Amino acid sequence: MSGNEAMRASASVRIEGVVKRHGTTTVLHGVDLAIEPGEFFVLLGPSGSGKTTTLRILAGLEPVSDGRVFMDEVDVTMREPGERDVAMVFQSYALYPHMTVAQNIGFPLKMVGTPSVEVAAAVNEAAAKVGIAHLLGRTPGQLSGGQQQRCALARAIVRQPRLFLLDEPLSNLDAKLRMETRLELHALQRNLGATTVYVTHDQEEAMTLADRIAVFMDGRIVQVGTPREVFSTPRTIEVAGFIGTPAMNFVSGAWSGATVTVAGVPLAVRASTDQPREVKLGVRPNDLRIVAEGLPARIERIEDLGDSCIVSFAAGESHLKLKSDRLHPVKEGDEVRLAFEPGAEHLFDAQTGARL
Amino acid sequence: MTGRKPFRSLALAAVAGVGLAVWVFPVIWGLLTSFKTERDVLAYPPVWFFKPTLDNYREVIFGASSIMPNLWSSLVVSTSATFFTMLFAIPAAYALARLKYPAKRASGFYVLATQMLPPVGLIIPYYLALQKVGGLDTYSGLTLIYLTFSLPFAIWLMVSYFEDIPFEMEEAALLDRAGRLRTLWYVILPQVRGGIAVTTIFVFLNAWNEFMFAVVLGGNRVRPVTVAMFNFISVEQTQWAKVAAGAMLAMLPVILIGLFAQRHIVKGLTVGAVKGGGRR
Repeated sequence: MSGNEAMRASASVRIEGVVKRHGTTTVLHGVDLAIEPGEFFVLLGPSGSGKTTTLRILAGLEPVSDGRVFMDEVDVTMREPGERDVAMVFQSYALYPHMTVAQNIGFPLKMVGTPSVEVAAAVNEAAAKVGIAHLLGRTPGQLSGGQQQRCALARAIVRQPRLFLLDEPLSNLDAKLRMETRLELHALQRNLGATTVYVTHDQEEAMTLADRIAVFMDGRIVQVGTPREVFSTPRTIEVAGFIGTPAMNFVSGAWSGATVTVAGVPLAVRASTDQPREVKLGVRPNDLRIVAEGLPARIERIEDLGDSCIVSFAAGESHLKLKSDRLHPVKEGDEVRLAFEPGAEHLFDAQTGARL
Repeated sequence: MTGRKPFRSLALAAVAGVGLAVWVFPVIWGLLTSFKTERDVLAYPPVWFFKPTLDNYREVIFGASSIMPNLWSSLVVSTSATFFTMLFAIPAAYALARLKYPAKRASGFYVLATQMLPPVGLIIPYYLALQKVGGLDTYSGLTLIYLTFSLPFAIWLMVSYFEDIPFEMEEAALLDRAGRLRTLWYVILPQVRGGIAVTTIFVFLNAWNEFMFAVVLGGNRVRPVTVAMFNFISVEQTQWAKVAAGAMLAMLPVILIGLFAQRHIVKGLTVGAVKGGGRR
C-alpha cells in the first residue's frame, strides 16, 4: 500500500465534551480531543484516570453520558462498535480460544462475507507483517505471550481499519520483549499509516511511540502535546511529576525577582517576577548538580546503574534525586550543596499547581 | 506425591474403594438378579453362584409385557424435553449472564426459587391443568411438565458457564462486526460446548429417570419405562428378576450416553485465551 492510499484510509477523530458517569461517580468530566489522520496518538495517565474509558468510547463499547464522537467529521456517537470501522487490540488480547491463529485473524473478514480465498491471502499477509506466518495452524493456547499479542495485532490489521485502538497491548509482556515489540509496533504503524490511539500508563512507552500525547488525570485531559512538549513544559505539577523517571524533584519556595528562596537559601532562576509569591519549584533529576554554593542536603543513598547513578538526598523536609552519568566522588551520609542551571527550573503555583 | 505420603494415599484409596463398593453394589446385584430365575432370586441365604438364564430378558423384550414400547415412550419424552429445554435455556442463560436489564437479580432468584418447590406439591395442580387442556396421557403434555423443572435447572447451570467467558471476548467479536447473534454462535457457544454437553446429559437423565409425574400424568399411551417396570409388581407377587432385567435395559442407553459424552465434557477450553484475565 502506498503512503497516499494509507493516508486516505485513515480517519480523523474528534471528541467533544464527552462525559461518562457510572451511577454517581463521574469517570470523565468533559473530554475534548482532536486526532489527525495517520497520527500515533497516546492516551497516558495513571490507572483510573479515564484513558481506557475514553478508548472504549471511541470503540463504541461504552456509551457516553454526554458529548459527541466524530470520525472524519461524521457523528458516530450512537453507532454500534461494528459500524465504526475500528479495530482494537485488548489488554487481554481476547483471542478466540477455540479457533486457530488463522481463523482468529480471518474472523473479521469472514464476518463481512469476504470470499475464503481472499481471507486466506489477507490472513497470510497480516500474519507475515507481524512475524507469525509459521504459527497459523496453532490455537491461542499453544502460543507464547508475545505470539498471542502478535496474533491479536494481526487480527486488528487484517481488515485495514480506519482507526486502530490499542489498550495497553504490551503490558503482559516481559521487559525485554516489550522494548522489542514497541519498536516493531511503531514501524508497523508507520507502514500502515492508520490513525492509532494507544492507551498506556507507561510514560516511557508514550514518549517513544507517540506523535502526540494526551495526559489524563482524574477524568480530565490536563495536557496535549508532543512528547518533547509534555516533558519540557508540563502544564501542571501532576503532569510534571508523572512524566520522567526518576520523577521530577519538588521543593516549596518563595519566588521574587529572578530568585526562588528555599529554606533560606536563594536559588537563581531564569524567569523573573515583580509579584513575590509562594511557588513549587521543580527540577528534573538530570538537571540537579552538586556544587559549592546551594541548597544543603545529605546523601541518603547512591544507586549505581552501571552507566549512570541515582543519588537520593534529604534536604530539610524534602527528598530529592539526582541522576548523572558521571560517578560523583561522594558517599552515603555526605553533606553537600545542590543547585541547577537557571532555566532548568519548572515553577508551579503553590495552590493550584498550574505552571507559571 | 504417592512416594512421599504412601500411608495417606493408601487411606484415600481405601475410602474410595468403600465408597465405590457401596455405590456399585446395587447395580451389580441388579445385574446378577436379572440373570436369575425367580426361584434363585428368593433363595435364602442369597446365592452368588447360580445357573444364569436369559428368560427374563426374553420376557421383557419379546414377551406379553414387553417394555420396548415403554423404552420408546421414555426416549420420545426425554429427547423432546431435553431438546426444548436446551433450546430455551441457552439463550435465557446467556441473557442472565450478560445483558444488563432491570430486575436482573430478581429474575435470577426466581429461576432458583422454582427449584425449591417440592415437586409432589405440584402434581395435583399439574394434573388439573393438563386435564383442562386435554394434555393428560400425551407426549406434549408430559414434555411440557418436564420443561417446568428442567428449564430452570438448565438455565441455572448454564449461566455459570457463560459467566466464565470474559467480556472482552464478546467485545472483540462485536468490533469484528459479528453482531450479537453471530457472536453467540461463532464465539460464545463453541466455548461453552462442554457446559452444553453436561447440561444436556443432566436434563436427559432427569427426564429419563423421572417416575412420579410420569405415573400420574401418563397413561396407557404414554407410559415411560420407569412406570412400566411397575407392571412386574402386583398384589400377589413381585417378579424381581424381570424388574431387574427391565432396569438393566432402562439403564443401558443412559450408560451409553454417559460413556459417549465423557469425551466431550472437556474443561479448560478457554485456558490460554486471555492472559492476565483480570477484569476492570
